[in-house]
This record gives sequence, C-alpha cells and structure tokens, in this order.
Amino acid sequence: MPEIIEKYYSLKELWSSLNKLNKSRKYLAGGTDLTISLSYGEEKTELWIDISDIKELSLIEDRKEFVFIGAGIKVSQLENNPIVKKWVPALAESVKYYASPSIRNTATLGGNYVNASPCADGVLALAASQASVVLNLKNRRRTLPLLSIIKGPKKIDLKKDEIAEGFLVPKIKHEAVFYKMMARKRFGISKAGLCICYRANNKKLEYVSIALSSVAPSIVKAPKTEEFLKNKKIDQNIVKKACEIIKSEISPIDDIRSQAEYRKEIISVFLQRALQKTIG
Amino acid sequence: MKKFPLSCEINGKKIKKEIDSSLRLIDFIREDMGLKGTKEGCGEGECGACMVLLDGKAVNSCLMMAVQIHGKKLVTIEGIHEHKYGKELQDSFVKEAAVQCGFCTPGFIIAAQEILAKNPKASLEEIKEGLAGNLCRCTGYENIFKAVDKARKK
Repeated sequence: MPEIIEKYYSLKELWSSLNKLNKSRKYLAGGTDLTISLSYGEEKTELWIDISDIKELSLIEDRKEFVFIGAGIKVSQLENNPIVKKWVPALAESVKYYASPSIRNTATLGGNYVNASPCADGVLALAASQASVVLNLKNRRRTLPLLSIIKGPKKIDLKKDEIAEGFLVPKIKHEAVFYKMMARKRFGISKAGLCICYRANNKKLEYVSIALSSVAPSIVKAPKTEEFLKNKKIDQNIVKKACEIIKSEISPIDDIRSQAEYRKEIISVFLQRALQKTIG
Repeated sequence: MKKFPLSCEINGKKIKKEIDSSLRLIDFIREDMGLKGTKEGCGEGECGACMVLLDGKAVNSCLMMAVQIHGKKLVTIEGIHEHKYGKELQDSFVKEAAVQCGFCTPGFIIAAQEILAKNPKASLEEIKEGLAGNLCRCTGYENIFKAVDKARKK
C-alpha cells in the first residue's frame, strides 16, 4: 500500500526529485494494473511516483525516419491519431480489441509494455511494427529492440528508477492486420493473437513482419515464417507451407485461458486469413 | 501515511482536500465525498459500475488512485444531468425500463454519455461497442440499448 504518492509534471521535476526520495518506490502510470494488485493486498511498495501527467511522455511526433510515441499515451488516444494511423496502422487497429473503452481512457501504452505480459495487445502491435523502446534514466537514454529487455511474464530488465519514455517506429510504408482470439467478442484477454505488417505488390510480399501473443512467455516474432514469406508470391501452396512453419516455430502451453493445441491451430488460421487479405 | 493536497473540480464545484495517498478514486468519491451513486461492483475493472467522467472521458474509478484526478474535472452520476445527454439518458432509462436492480445504471449512463457526446449519430453496433465495459447482471441489455438510442431523439 502506498504510504506516499509523489506527483510530477515534467521529466526535469522527476529527475531532480529522485535524490530526495529514500524509500522503496514504484512508478504509477495509468494505474489499471497497479490498483488491482493494491486491492488484492499484493502491493507493498511504500512510495509511488505518479508519472501519469508528465507532459513529455504523452507526445506523438513525426520525426525524420521514425515516429515517436510517448509511453504515457492513453490507449484511446492512438485510435484516431493521424500519425499513428499512417505509420503504425497495427497500433491503431489494435485499439478496439484492447480491454474496454473506459480502461482504454486510462491505461497507457508504456504501462502495457513494462507490465511485460505475453498477451499485451499494444506490445503485439508495436512488435509487428518493428518498434524500439526508448528508456530514460536521469536523461541518459538507451534505445533498444522492443522485446530485448522482456525476460518473461511480468519480468522486464529495467534499471532502478529507469522509465520507458516512448517507442520509436521506423517509417516504412505498409498495411497491417490484427487478429485476437478471446472468449467473447470484446473485452477479453487474448487466447492467441497475430499481427502482421506487410506491403504487397502484385501479390508478392515485399515487406512482412509478424508478431504473436499468448503463445510464449512473452510477445514473440515469427522470424522463420517471415523469412519464408519474404518476396514470395502468395498462392495456396505458399499459404499452406507458411502455416506449417509458423506452427513449428511456436510452443504454447495449456493454461486457464486456452490449450496449447488450440493456440497453435488458431495462429495457423489467423495467418491463413491474414495472407489471403494481403492479396485482396 | 502522508496526506496529498488534492485540488480538483467535482460536479462543477471546486474541491481542496488533504487526502490519504492510499485511496483509490472510488474510495475517495464514496467515503470522503459521500457521493454514493458511484458503485463498486467487481473492483477490478470488469463490470463498469464504478464509472465516472474524468475531463469528459469515462474511466473506471476502481482502477485509479484518487491523486490522479489532481487538477482535473470529475463528474459522477450525481452531476451528469448538467451535461449534454445526461438528463435525457436518465429520463430515457426510466421510460424504457432499462433499470432493474439499478446497481449497474450509474456506470451505463456515464459510458453512454461519452458515446453520445463523441458521436450523436452512433449506430446500434457502436453503442454496443461503447458499452462493452459495462455488465448488467439482471441482463437487461436490450432495454439499455433502446434507452441510449432514444435519449438523443428527444
């Protein structure tokens, strides 16, 4: 339970205040996960630092070769943002599958990331969009491949007091398809998900990037399937082979939400549907 | 426990109050402010009974800390009638018998207000999508959809 919550409005204020704080501490962004741990009595950290209103974290910027999306952006802000729609279509598309409308008004993309869940919808879209994460500790920045510091469910390799400042997505012209299987039509946690970013020219896949959710201890890419599909002209035979490859490169588990065999099958069905869509 | 000096606007009134840092928004609304219209159902964001408007957007008050509304405008079911579609929605829920036990109603009206304020011409499908985060355990969904649809036709 937080004994103290400190609230800051800028990174400058945050970094200059950290030295004065000498308790075990944790960042509070949207709060949609942290408050549940609190209600369950699992939250023991004494000091919470509220970063939900830090202005630098809620920027979306069109930079030279990249789009920058601040970690503090609320999920609902992604859906109709023109920069996101143009350069990160997977992320815009993911929004309607993401929790409920009211949770989307509170939850942040950065929170979705640092929570390191294997079923994180926002991270699935970012991974397929080839995003990098920008980490910041007292204005020392590190830019790393998105999935490189995620070590398993709820495990992320951040330094003490380091924050995820935002995400950089390369500006590559492409389209995206986002599929998520859940127990009901909306507002469910993914049993399995597939997101593919692609550019097709005359039925040939010039560019293809695939990410998967809920089939491994973290969001994963499907590099063998990508390699196989790249520059191939999509026909029934290729689709069939790609589905075999993607099934062979994942090893999902049975858990309360679904079963390993079903998950494999769904991923293969999603890939088949997505590839059909790429050729219209 | 260190107190947090909260200042915000609730249902049009400016509030300044020293609050416990450990309070969730719903605890602050119900216990500190005595606004009992906002309900706690599941306490983990599934049911939507605790919804309030924060700067015009529907949020689950069980999934936020009270300090997160510092400097912002909060509207609960007690103040919704002063907002566009608020009074219309309340009347329409009564008229269309969209209220059975009534526990979910404040949350549904808050969510519906955001849907209509964002898009007064929302289709039935869009209304359903917008209400995806609200559960009615009496299962009176059809009348609720009808009530939201009719609220804008007055």
